[in-house]
Amino acid sequence: MNETVLSLKQRFALSRFMRGEKPANGALTLNQRRIFILPTRQGGGFIVLIILLLLIALTYNNNLIYLLAFMLASVFFITILHTYQSLAGLVVKPLQTQAAFTGEKAGFSFSIQNPSDQERFDIQLKLETETLLDIPPHHHEKVLLFKSTKKRGKLQAGTLTVSSCYPLGLFRAWSPLRFKMEALVYPAPATVFSVFPESEGFEGENGQSKKGGDDFYGLQSYQPGDPIRQIHWKSYAKGQGLFSKHYGGNAVADLWLDYNQTPGHDVEQRLSHLCRWIIEAEKIGLHYGLILPNKKIPCNHGPSHQHACLEALALF
Amino acid sequence: MNSWIPQKSLIFMLIALGLITLPHSQHLPLPLFLFFGLLWSWRFIAIWKPEWLPGKTTVFLLMLTAIGLLYSQHQGILGRAGGTSLFVIALGLKLLEIRGTRDIYLIVFLGFIVAATEFLYQQSIIMAVYIVLVCIVLLATLITINGLHAKIRPTLKKAGIIVLQAIPIAAIIFVLFPRIEAPRFKWLEAEKNQITGLSDTLEPGAISELGLSPELVFRVKFEGDIPPPAERYWRGPVFSYTDGKRWRESPNRFFKRYMDTPRFKGKAYHYTLLMEPQNKPWVFALEMPARFEAPLQRNGFYQLTTTKDPAQRAEYNITSYTQFNTGYLTKTELKDTLQLPGKPSERIVKLVKQLGGFDLKPEQFIANLFNYFRQEKFFYTLMPKKMEDNPIETFLFDRRYGFCSHYATAFVYLMRIADIPARVIGGYQGGEFNEAGNFLEVRQANAHAWTEVWLQGKGWTRFDPTTAIAPERVEQTLDIEQQIATRTLTIVPPEILHQSMDWLKRAKQILGSVDYSWQRWIINYNRASQQGIFKHLGIEDLKSIIYWLLVLVGTATLIMARFILKHKAQPVDPAVKLYHQFCQKIPDITRKPGETPYSFAARCRQAYPKHAETIDRITQLFVKIRYYPNSPKEMLEYLKKQVDHFSCT
Repeated sequence: MNETVLSLKQRFALSRFMRGEKPANGALTLNQRRIFILPTRQGGGFIVLIILLLLIALTYNNNLIYLLAFMLASVFFITILHTYQSLAGLVVKPLQTQAAFTGEKAGFSFSIQNPSDQERFDIQLKLETETLLDIPPHHHEKVLLFKSTKKRGKLQAGTLTVSSCYPLGLFRAWSPLRFKMEALVYPAPATVFSVFPESEGFEGENGQSKKGGDDFYGLQSYQPGDPIRQIHWKSYAKGQGLFSKHYGGNAVADLWLDYNQTPGHDVEQRLSHLCRWIIEAEKIGLHYGLILPNKKIPCNHGPSHQHACLEALALF
Repeated sequence: MNSWIPQKSLIFMLIALGLITLPHSQHLPLPLFLFFGLLWSWRFIAIWKPEWLPGKTTVFLLMLTAIGLLYSQHQGILGRAGGTSLFVIALGLKLLEIRGTRDIYLIVFLGFIVAATEFLYQQSIIMAVYIVLVCIVLLATLITINGLHAKIRPTLKKAGIIVLQAIPIAAIIFVLFPRIEAPRFKWLEAEKNQITGLSDTLEPGAISELGLSPELVFRVKFEGDIPPPAERYWRGPVFSYTDGKRWRESPNRFFKRYMDTPRFKGKAYHYTLLMEPQNKPWVFALEMPARFEAPLQRNGFYQLTTTKDPAQRAEYNITSYTQFNTGYLTKTELKDTLQLPGKPSERIVKLVKQLGGFDLKPEQFIANLFNYFRQEKFFYTLMPKKMEDNPIETFLFDRRYGFCSHYATAFVYLMRIADIPARVIGGYQGGEFNEAGNFLEVRQANAHAWTEVWLQGKGWTRFDPTTAIAPERVEQTLDIEQQIATRTLTIVPPEILHQSMDWLKRAKQILGSVDYSWQRWIINYNRASQQGIFKHLGIEDLKSIIYWLLVLVGTATLIMARFILKHKAQPVDPAVKLYHQFCQKIPDITRKPGETPYSFAARCRQAYPKHAETIDRITQLFVKIRYYPNSPKEMLEYLKKQVDHFSCT
C-alpha cells in the first residue's frame, strides 16, 4: 500500500503519534509503522501492584510471591504483543462522506476489514464521535462517524483514531489515520424565511408575461407549477400552508434565485438566505435556478439539482 | 471507560475471588472469614437483585464492623496474619462498591495480593498450581471488560495462553533477579507454626504412647553411595544430665576448646541435607559430620546447629564419616557423663556386678548387658505403660516393655554405675529411599534414641541397645504407615521391599521426588544458590546481571513475538497466479492497480482485436473461478491450458 520511507526526523515527529502521517488516498493497513502502544492508567496500577508484591516477597523472603510478581510482570510484557495484535493487520478504507449544513455534523463513513483468522474485540474508531465494534474473522464492518462543522466549504476528515485496549486493558494500542477525504459543508440556512424574490429581470424562458390573468377569483391550494408571484405569502408565513392566488389566466413560472437580489449584509448572510430558499423551493417542488456572480445553474428540481445548487453555495 | 459492568465480568470476578480466599479459611480467624463470606454472597446475589446493594450508611456501618473485627482478632494490621486479614476484608468491602471499571481493576489487583498472601502460609506445589489457575480466572475478568462480547471459553483460553506465554520470561527473571537478604523486622515475623519435632528433654517413663507422625523432617541426597541402613544414624541432641526421670543436655559448653580433634577413617559420604521447617536449630547430620559450611556450627557434643531461622526450609552440604575416633575425654565431659541422680539402689548395683560391670573390660560388660536384654524377657513396644516412679528400675526389673528411649536410658544408667562415661543421643535412625528422586526421606516416625560410651583408645563409640531387642528396627526399613495403623513396630521385609512397590507407592515416591525438587529449586532458591548460578555464567556485578536479564528477556520476547504475531500466509489462489501470467503475456498493456478484469479485457481487445475471443474467454473463466465458490477443478485446468497457449504474436 502507499508506503513511503520515512526519514528519521519524520519517524519521531510527535504529530505522527497523535495526528497520523500525511493523508492517504486509499485503504491503509495497520502495521508496526502506524500502531503505537502505551500503558493505560490501569497499566500503571498494575505496575504498582507488581512493586507491592515484590516488597511483600522481599520482607518475607518468599520465593513463590517473587514468582507471582515476576509472572505478572511477564504478563504485562506479553500484553504489549497481544494489544498490538488486536489492531495489526486491520485494513481501513475511506468510503463516502455526507454533506452537512454549517453547524450540523458532517458524516464520514469508513470500512474496516479484519483479514485474519482471529476475531477483533472492542475496536474503537474515533473521529469526533466514536464507536466500538467487534469484527469477526474475515469480515468487514462499515462505520459512520461524524464531525461538527463550523464553516461552509470543504471539511477534511482529519485524524481517524483506531484503538483497542484488548485483552487486559493494561495497554492501549492506537493508530492515527488520515485520509484524503472531505465532506461538503453548505451554508447554514437562514433562520428567518424571507419571501422568494420576484424574478422581475428575468422573463421565464417560455415567454410568460409579467402578470397573470386579470381577475382574481380566490385562493387555491398550491399546485406544483403555479407561478411564484401568485403564491399567497401571507398565509404561508402564518404557517397555514401554501396557497396560490388564482386569477383568470394561468402560467408556469421559474424561480430564479439571484445572489445580487438576495437580502443580507455580507456574503454569508446572503448565502444563508439562498440556502434556505433552495431548501424551501425543493420542498415545495418549484423549478428553481441559481445565479451567483461566478456561476449560473439553470432551472430544474430534484435532489441532484438541489445538491448542485447547495454545492455551488458551499464552494462560493 | 464506561461505568457499565457486564454481568459476565462480575460473575467471573466473584468466582475468582471466592476461589482465592477459600484456602485462607484454614488460617484466617473464623469470624473474619465468615464476614468476608457474607460480603461476597451479598454481592453475588446483587448481580441479579441490584436493588439489594447496600447504601452509603450500610457500607459505613459494615466498615466499622470490619475494623472492630480486625482489632478484636489481631490487635493491629501489622505482621502476616493481620496484614492478610486486612487485605481480605478490604477486598470484601470493596465488592459492595463497584461503580465503574476502575473499581473492577482495583478489586482484581487486591485479589492478586490476597492470592500472594496465601503463599505466606503454604508453599506446596499444589497451592502454586491452584493460585496460577485462579489468576487465570482473574485475568479473564479483565478480558471480559475489554472484549465485551467474547464468549466464556475463548476468554478463559486467552487468559490461559497469556499466562503460559508469561512463564518463560517469569522463569528467567526468577533466576536472575538479584536476591537481597531483607532486614528482618520483628513485627513482620510470621508467628511460629506448630512444628513437631524432637524435644530437648527425654522422659521415657512419662510416655505411654510414642507419637508416630509421618511428617517429613528432612531429605538427604547423597553424591555417590548411600550408607547401609544400619549406619543411618542422624545425630541430634545429646542428653547427659539426668535427675533419674528426665534427661537433659548438659549446660556446660566451655570444654569445647579443650577437646581433641576427631580423626575420621574409611568412606566419606557427601550429601545435601534439606531440612523442613523446625522449631529448634538442630541439623541432623549423619554420624559423624566432618565438613560443613556456614551457617552450620558443631557444638561440643558433635551435634550440628544452624544460626539461621530454623522455621525456614534450608539446605546444607555436609560430609560425614561413619568411622571415627573422637580421641581423649575432657574433664567436663567425664564429669557430665558419669553424673548420677543419687546413690543407686542395691538391686541395680547387684545387676551391674552380676554382668561384670566392676571387674570386666567395658566392651565385655556391654556385650553381657546386650545379652541380658536379649535373654531375659524384654520386649519392644511403642505403647509402654507409664513408669512414674523410679522409671529405670521399674523398667529393668518389673515392666520390661519399652521403646528405644527406655533401653537407651537404662543402658546409660547402668554404664555410669560401672564408672563408664556414657550418654544418650537423640535423633533419627533410618530413612526411606525414594527411588524416583534418588534420595532418603526421614520422617518423625524415624525418631530414635541410642547411646554413646567413651572407650579408651576409641573415643566416643555408639551402642544402640534397641538392636539387642529389635534389631530389625535399625537394620531394615520401617513401614511407617503400617506402624501407625497397627501401633506396633512394623518392618518391611527386605524381599517384599521391591515387590511391594505397587503403583500407589510408586506414585507416592514420584510425588515425593517432585516435591523435593520443588523445595530445593523453587522454595529454597536463595542468594547462595543464585551466587552459584552467577558463578557459572560469569556474572560478577549488578551491571552484568542487568545485561543478562535484558539479553535473555529480549530473546524470549522475540521468540514470543514470532509466536504471537505470526501471520498465516494467505494461500495464493492458483487462478490468480495464472491470471497474472496472462496479464504479463500481453505486450504494452499493464493492468492498473485495482482495475477490474473486465475493463482490462476491454483495453486488450481494442489493442489486439485478433485475440479478442481468447482474451474474453480467459477473463470470463478467471472471474468464474475466482468469484463463484466450488467451481470444478477442470475449469482451473482449462484456464491453465488457455493461458499456456495464449500468445499475442
